[in-house]
Parts: sequence; C-alpha cells; structure tokens
Amino acid sequence: MQLNPSEISDLIKKKIENFDLSAEAHTEGTVVSVTDGIVRVHGLSQAMQGEMLEFPGNTFGMALNLERDSVGAVVLGSYQHISEGDTVKCTGKILEVPVGEALLGRVVDALGNPIDGKGAIDTNETSPIEKIAPGVIARQSVDQPVQLGLKSIDAMIPVGRGQRELIIGDRQTGKTAIAVDAIINQKGTGIKCIYVAIGQKRSSIANVVRKLEEHGAMAHTIIVAASASESAALQFIAPYTGCSMGEFFRDRGEDALIIYDDLTKQAWAYRQVSLLLRRPPGREAYPGDVFYLHSRLLERASRINADEVEKLTGGKVKGKTGSLTALPIIETQGGDVSAFVPTNVISITDGQIFLESNLFNSGIRPAVNAGLSVSRVGGAAQTKIIKKLGGGTRLDLAQYRELAAFAQFASDLDESTRKQIERGQRVTELMKQNQYSPMSVAQMAVSLFAANEGFLDGVEVNKVLDFEAALQLYMKSEHAELMDNINATGDFSNEISSGIRAAIETFIKTHSW
Amino acid sequence: MSELATLARPYAAAVFKRAKETDSTEKWSQHLAFMSAVLINEDISVVVDNPNVTKQGLTALMLDICQGQIDSEGENFLKLLIHNNRLALVSAIAGLFEVYKADDEGYVDVEVSTAYAFSEEAQRDFVATLEKMLSKKVHITEIVDKSLIGGVLVRAGDQVIDGSIRGQLQQMQKALQ
Repeated sequence: MQLNPSEISDLIKKKIENFDLSAEAHTEGTVVSVTDGIVRVHGLSQAMQGEMLEFPGNTFGMALNLERDSVGAVVLGSYQHISEGDTVKCTGKILEVPVGEALLGRVVDALGNPIDGKGAIDTNETSPIEKIAPGVIARQSVDQPVQLGLKSIDAMIPVGRGQRELIIGDRQTGKTAIAVDAIINQKGTGIKCIYVAIGQKRSSIANVVRKLEEHGAMAHTIIVAASASESAALQFIAPYTGCSMGEFFRDRGEDALIIYDDLTKQAWAYRQVSLLLRRPPGREAYPGDVFYLHSRLLERASRINADEVEKLTGGKVKGKTGSLTALPIIETQGGDVSAFVPTNVISITDGQIFLESNLFNSGIRPAVNAGLSVSRVGGAAQTKIIKKLGGGTRLDLAQYRELAAFAQFASDLDESTRKQIERGQRVTELMKQNQYSPMSVAQMAVSLFAANEGFLDGVEVNKVLDFEAALQLYMKSEHAELMDNINATGDFSNEISSGIRAAIETFIKTHSW
Repeated sequence: MSELATLARPYAAAVFKRAKETDSTEKWSQHLAFMSAVLINEDISVVVDNPNVTKQGLTALMLDICQGQIDSEGENFLKLLIHNNRLALVSAIAGLFEVYKADDEGYVDVEVSTAYAFSEEAQRDFVATLEKMLSKKVHITEIVDKSLIGGVLVRAGDQVIDGSIRGQLQQMQKALQ
C-alpha cells in the first residue's frame, strides 16, 4: 500500500490525538555492574520475579534474582551499550510476546520480533511468556491422534493431541528430520505448528524454513529462532515464547503442535545464566531448578475441554476442545540417557521416540528403536485401523529382536523360528521411509496390512521397499475410492479388510516390482 | 555495592539503636556525615588503604582529625571500625543510618526537579499534595532543570513520578515507534 505524505501526517496526527498523556509513575534503579549479559541493579525495590525491565536504548531485560539491596537481571539482546550508572525502569509487566494468527508463516526471534524481512506482524494481542498450566478440572484426556506421517512412529509409538512425546537420540540420528516431517504432514489438518529452534546454527534454521516452504508447510507454521549467536537469555526464554504462541491456538479451541529443538541447549543456556547470577551449581553444574525449568514448560502442553475453551473465549467458541501437543527434542552424548537432563525430560513426558546412531548408520531411517520407544497415552488416540494393524508390527519386531542373533544360522533353525526371523527382516525393511514423504492413514494401512497378512513373505528382503512403492502407486490409481474411504473414517471393518486383501492379491498377480 | 550494604547493615542498625536510646539521632547523623566526608578525602583514603599503616597509627590519625567533631561514643565507634578493618564502610553506614532515621521519623526525602522555580505558595501546595499521596512527611529538595521544558519530575527513593513535558515527549516517541 502506497501512502502519500499528507496521509502519513494525518495518521500521525490521529495517533497523537488519541495518545493518552498522563504523569508516568514508575520505580527506578541504577546499574551497578554488567557482566556477560547479567546486570546487577541497585534500587528497584518494587520489582517482581520475571518482570520486564527497561534499559536505555530501547533494550529490555528480565528480573531473575531479587535480593535485599539489588536485583539481578538478564539483558535480552545486546548489552554492550549498557554501562554502570545507567537508569533502569520497572515496567510493571511480566515479559510478553505477540501472539495470533498473523504469526503463521513467519520467522520470529525469542521476543516475537520478525526476522524474516517480511515487515511488521499485524497483531495487537500479546501474552505473557510464563503462564500457569491448565488445572485438572480444565483438562480432557487425549483421544485424538496427531499423524506424524511416519509408518514406524504412527504404527508403534502413536502421538495424541495434547500429548508430550520426547524425541531423543545422539547427534546425527534424524531428530530434526522427524520434527520437520511431522510439520509437513499437518498440512490441511488444521493443526498449527510452532518450531522453536534453540542454539542452532543460523544455516540449519534457514534450511528448515526452506524445506517447509518447498513443501508448502510454512502457511500453518510459526518459527521461533534463538540461534547459537544470540544471548543465552534469549535461548533460555525461546521455548516459553513458542509455548505462549501455541497456547493462543489451544485456548481458542484449535489444535497446535510445538517442537522444541532442542531442550538440551536450552538447559545449557539456563545453566550459563544461573551460574552468572551466582546461583549455586548442582549436578553437572546445572542449577537446582532445572527440572522445574522443563516441567513447567511441558506441563503447558495439554488438551483442554470444551467448557474451558468456552470460558477462555468468553463464549465465542462452543463445543470445541483445544490442544497443544509438544515434541521436545533432547540430544544425548554417546547414547547416554542416564545423564541429568535426559532423565528429567524422559520422566516429564508421556513417552519417548528413541533414535539410535547404529540403526541410522545401517540404513534404517527413521532410526527408531522400537524396543525402547514408548507412547504412554497415544494408544487411546490412535486411529482404529492403524491400531488394529500396527499391533502386529510391534510384536513381529519384538520377536525378531530376540532371534536376530541367530539369523546367520538360518539353515539350522526350525521352521517357525526361521519364519519369524524372515518376517522380522521384512517388517524392519518396511519401516524405512524417506524424508519429506509422509504417508496418509490409508497408505500406512495398506503397507501394514501387507506385512501382517504375510504378503511380504514372498518378497525378497531388499525388494520390500520397491514392492511397497509399486503397491502404493497401484492402490492410488486403481482403488482411490477405498483409500479415500479409509482416510475419511479411519475404521477397520470386514469390508475394508477384504477390499484391501483383494486389491493386494490382484496386484501381486498382475504387477511386477 | 550490594555486598557493602550487607556488611554495613548491622553497624548502621547498632548505631541507630544506640542513638535512639540516648536520644541523639541528630548528633549521630552529623558524626557519620563528618566521618564519611573525611574518608572521601583522597589523602586520607590513601592512608586507610595502605597496609603499611598500623591500626594504632590509623586510630591515632583518625581521632586526631575528628577531634572536637565527635564525642566519646563516636570515638569508640571509630576504634571499633578500625579494629574490624571496616573503616571503608563508613559512607554506606551513614547512608543506611539516614534511611533508618527517615523511616523512624516518618518522612521521605524527595527530590523535585522543575523547569522553573516554584513560588513559595506553589511549593507549599505541592508539598501538601505529595504528603497526602505518599502518606508521609516530605523533606523536599528543589532542583531547577531547564531540560524538562515544563512540568515536574519527582523522585522519592527509587519511586519516580514523571509529569514533565520531556517525559511526555519521550512517552509519545515510544508510542509512535
């Protein structure tokens, strides 16, 4: 929109007319010391814990340590221009960030300022970054699925709306890949996604944004980026910022999915801030409240009932539940899940997707360890057809793991053992899936059905994926109606079962792969 | 700075209690003000910080300087501070003492900056309003500051009430950004 100068001055005039001039009363303090982004302020006797403080040069900070004569605060952003003797004002507000629909498709920093060069964000609503999680009365149990679009996860470790499912693994095991696939698969489902990047390289963040744009997934996604070059304080608050943005959708009766990539780096940033604030170090030099740091964040991911949504929207939205699903990511060092932060987050979340580097290196991607991965609440939310067909997969893989060591003596084994090993090899092969190619419920159902009913047993192990690809193509072109029906209802009836069976039998007779 | 205040607090509290007992807060206030004025002097602070100067020497020097200005209790206090190596705390103690005194007598020190000096009547009115607002007696210090353009800026401790034209312009600048 082009504005001419007179219009601009009219706009300014109107703003000045509406400007409420009043004597401003506030509490002031003086900067005593500035060390590595931590500022000690003398005075400010009225400051609240977590209150936003105003420094000169339009810089803000957050009060974290309230002591008898001074306040310890972190500066959010650059602190080079702050010096001893500067005045600091209390704002009387807890740190707030913009929230709303206008943020979708945007990349923002930890304070909600746009950093994608697409101009200002058109929203007037703000929300404090720290909020108390919904209470017991406001909640509803998890019973609707979030489809991540990955066979191995949706079949064996289902995630429900409002669940907190940890993605844990060493570096380079495909943690972010699962998260990005999950976002891409939410296209057209109405689930809004928030991807919080903490302590990552700017290039990695740019890659994620580009991949999401390529797959048309940015329209329903907000990216909150606190890269490695930003101050520890911003890396520490970024997850809370993203959570507030997600809660906006939850509280309006919509569904949202938030990914924290990753909370290990957030814990590092918080450790840095805490040590600089001279809080006593505990295990692995983390402060005493590092458990609370993550528990209060993940507790906000929840499903709330229709009454609560009605109350929060003032009666505007009726009969709809809201949910915020969280997929926190934790990076382990050398597969050590018994380190401090991984054990904490494992105990907070409702299950974990465990990724292993040796699986990844042997070509099983996503490198999900089906034995160690669990979903504690997702079963109730799983689509009926996947639940029915996926159960067998889990069993096949478990039995295969027991026997895998004997696989090389195949000729000496009895018939049933050999069969189990062969089934296991094929199911393991079938669980492989390329990045950026999420599958619909019907596609998964067909693949799982083929494995369950033994149609794969006649296929060579290294041909399983080719078989699957050809089968999917065939189903798409010849049985589109059946597939649409499965996608729409998610039910598993005799009719559907026989439909799939007939289709696969015809495919095997008439096609090659 | 905050660490100094922590160290100075018990001394200030003790001095204030003693002053209340002997009903000599005003006298003590002068004593402490004088001592801190002495210690701010560069020549003296060099001597105080010099580890070669013995405690006896320092005590003799300080008592000599303060002779006639402080009474025997004041001298005892000085000796105690030197004995405990806490002479550097005097200004912090003096500051805290004033806070306790103001608290006890129920007044606040208020610094009022105006663009133009108050008339006597206006000042009386203003003090009355402030006293009602803060519900305490007000000791006013007036400062004329042309850069405020107009209006008043009131500082009471760390509370600031900004009713100046400069402050309003700054508010407007923020709102228009």
